Amino acid sequence: MSLVLVSHSKSLAEGLRDMVVQVAGEGVRVAAAGGTADGRLGTNAEAIVDTLRDILAGSGDGVLVLLDLGSAWLSVEMALEELSETERARVRVSEAPLVEGAVLAAVQASVGGTLSEVAAAAAGAASMSKAPGGSSNA
Amino acid sequence: MPEIRLTVIDESGLHARPAARFVQAASRFASRIVIRNGEREADAKSLISLLTLAVRLSNVITVTAEGSDADAALASLAAELSPYVSPMTGNNTAS
Repeated sequence: MSLVLVSHSKSLAEGLRDMVVQVAGEGVRVAAAGGTADGRLGTNAEAIVDTLRDILAGSGDGVLVLLDLGSAWLSVEMALEELSETERARVRVSEAPLVEGAVLAAVQASVGGTLSEVAAAAAGAASMSKAPGGSSNA
Repeated sequence: MPEIRLTVIDESGLHARPAARFVQAASRFASRIVIRNGEREADAKSLISLLTLAVRLSNVITVTAEGSDADAALASLAAELSPYVSPMTGNNTAS
């Protein structure tokens, strides 16, 4: 199982990749696809396709894609259209919040989770407390 | 059901990295493994569950395992998590 982190910011995607690998270990492949081709803020469908193809060619496993903001979905959708049907069948796009979703997904992947299990772990991030037992100011 | 009690010695408590180590170590065993911190309890094989325990420095957590490999699971958890937790000895050990 591999993860692709799609962000409008190259540094955000790469920083999160570093953090995720430190938490989950080197056994999980995590790729970052952030920023536009010319280094501005934005997402880049071509870079996402290249990243996905690279991972799909390198292993028989599934890939979970996580996004920072909904507008990244447009690029991800374009990227998915470039893939063959068999490639697309191994890719799932998560609606989870990026940071929590990536960490939960990577740890699940590190213990041998399937694409469905990893996607389910990421989905749990949506209801995860930032301050468990803490702040009562909400 | 065997259990062990561990004192958290990591200054940051059970933050993401040690919690992930817990999940990875626990997932290698078939036993159901539960971690309790006061009133809260979590499935040791679920990171999201563990992170909601809010375990801090000096908290004493109880780890219970149920299944054919329960004793091995507890021994392995205590050993692998030794940078972050320290086993409590004496009256509080497993019965």
